[in-house]
Amino acid sequence: MDASVKPRPKLAAPWKKSSTPSKLAILSASLFPSLLSFTLAGLFHLPGLITLIAVLLPLQLLAAAAVGTFISGRHGRSGAILMVLVVFFSAIVVILLGSVLWSVISNGFKVLSIPFLIQNNNYITPTTELGYGGLGHALLGSIELVLISSAVTVPLGILVGVYLTETRDKSRTLVRTFVQSLAGLPSVVAGLFIYSMFVVTGVLRPAGILGALALIPLMLPTVARVVEESLKLVPQDLRNAAIGLGASKFKAFMQVTLPAAKSGIITAVLLGIARILGETAPILLTTLMGSGTNLNVFQDAFATLPTYLFNNLANSTEVSFSRAWGTALVMMIFVGAAFVSIRIVSRNKTSAKKK
Amino acid sequence: MSSVESSVAPERRVLSDKPTARADKVFYGLSRAAAYSAIVLVALILTFLAWQAWPTFQDQGINFLIGSKWDNTSDNPVFQIFPMLWGSILISGIGAAVAIPMGLSLAYFIEFVAGKKLAAFVTSIVDLLAALPSVIIGLWGALVFTPVAVEWAKILNQYLGFIPIFRNSSETFPGSPFIAGWIVAVMIVPIITSVSREVFSQIDKDLINGAIGLGAGRAAIFTKVILPTSRGGVVGGVLLAVGRALGETVAIYYVLTLTFKINWYEVLEGRGGSIASFIIGQFGEAEGKTISALMAAGVVLFVVSLLINFIAGWIVSRAASRGKF
Repeated sequence: MDASVKPRPKLAAPWKKSSTPSKLAILSASLFPSLLSFTLAGLFHLPGLITLIAVLLPLQLLAAAAVGTFISGRHGRSGAILMVLVVFFSAIVVILLGSVLWSVISNGFKVLSIPFLIQNNNYITPTTELGYGGLGHALLGSIELVLISSAVTVPLGILVGVYLTETRDKSRTLVRTFVQSLAGLPSVVAGLFIYSMFVVTGVLRPAGILGALALIPLMLPTVARVVEESLKLVPQDLRNAAIGLGASKFKAFMQVTLPAAKSGIITAVLLGIARILGETAPILLTTLMGSGTNLNVFQDAFATLPTYLFNNLANSTEVSFSRAWGTALVMMIFVGAAFVSIRIVSRNKTSAKKK
Repeated sequence: MSSVESSVAPERRVLSDKPTARADKVFYGLSRAAAYSAIVLVALILTFLAWQAWPTFQDQGINFLIGSKWDNTSDNPVFQIFPMLWGSILISGIGAAVAIPMGLSLAYFIEFVAGKKLAAFVTSIVDLLAALPSVIIGLWGALVFTPVAVEWAKILNQYLGFIPIFRNSSETFPGSPFIAGWIVAVMIVPIITSVSREVFSQIDKDLINGAIGLGAGRAAIFTKVILPTSRGGVVGGVLLAVGRALGETVAIYYVLTLTFKINWYEVLEGRGGSIASFIIGQFGEAEGKTISALMAAGVVLFVVSLLINFIAGWIVSRAASRGKF
């Protein structure tokens, strides 16, 4: 009788602590393949990529499969292979993204100086040494363009979000579809659109204001979508309570719904700004690149951070590459600052909820 | 009793979803106007671009889409965009092929493997990179990544050169669709990751616990529970990312050599195409008919992106309504 009862499969006792041999096996499976492939690469002078894909990955898969089988049978084998692949691909992403961040920070930091931040680019050639000239004009230009675009897009985006959540209009699905299709608008097409609307028709010559206009359709979907999502998170009971107490819908929105969604709306604005701060193509198409400080958006050449970076990359001298890295770092600092602010805003919200 | 009879019955209130107070009316009117302005904006974009592009479409006919010759110097200019269109598609395809396993792996890692702190850290890095301007990725791609990727391409060509797609007869490795595809992959991995993570996190935990209770291992849970339930959302996210990849302009501009000799599949060859980068490259010196032709290229790009976006939205909403999100 007893003999016919199959032993409990190992996986069916997941609460059991893993034993010493299995711990040892896991340890060796995680160390052995990388050590072996390092040695092989050293012995045969293999290039990094070959080592990684043709030596380390198969070895690691084999070792993981063997150990997985040893510990918990067939399930263990496929699980271990899955884990190795997941960690491998994730590591590649982290390495690539880390490389982007690191090269911007390390190369840009060398360039960063007070003159670089405040001087403009007048009388600067691609070979002028780094101590002279900088992105001051582009910084002012970018800030100005972002402010102009935001002044139009933020109210517009919030109102679109309000329309999508607070009204019961029948055409909401239609509006949502169109806002979504704006989100898929290639930035270069936004530039072409503004060019064809104002420059071809002869209303204006290429100028800063056209760049600001071209950024509006790119910023609008981001703001509208995030506002919509944050308004959706406000409990319906709050609105009902306000209306039940006699508030008009407008009052209920201004005094109850909007404050409740405040952090989400700030997030929407910051995400929108982060989105348009680095847009290059529409500004290249609609403005003339300037090297002097020009705050008049209606005429003359105009500079922004992304176009300044783009032009420096095009000049392809060592000095202008350095300037490009410095500009990239400044832009990254702005984007990073936007993200830190979003974190702070949303953290305040969660901590307020806990109380 | 008598007091009730003598008092006038209160006026009957009409229940309505329409705003009544004046402030409400103004408020709703404004928001409706803003919402319709989004529709007007899309219509304006299409109208103005189509108006500008019309002469080109008329002159070139269908050959604008399927031919591969670009000559704006002669009196009878020829504008045919196919190599650029195909190049955009090829690069987006390579980008997606590279980015999908990475994005899914990272999403799985964040959602099911990493501890809370590590997950939060990786998520914030990925979100930051999703917002990183494409011109910075282009700078990194041109100065840092291209030399590395050229080495990779040489190795691929050396060991796998017998496979047609890894052939390289011209021995020029920089500026290839392979490199541009990787750059695009770096840009869309954050999108795929954040969409997939979102979808993974909405999977009913009971399903996963049930699978564990039935004795499923990690792999079985991934292939039998996570993937089937999140398929719609993930596919939609990938399509959104591909839409972004198609419209990518400045990041590709510096890492890709644009030529009108069509490159069907030899991804390691240093020649390719991209509509968006082509527009940026040509626009500076363009005038008259060439501008019209570039506008027409923009129309093609916009229409393709719109189609992809609509399909993505449709897949996501269908998956969501089925509850398979």
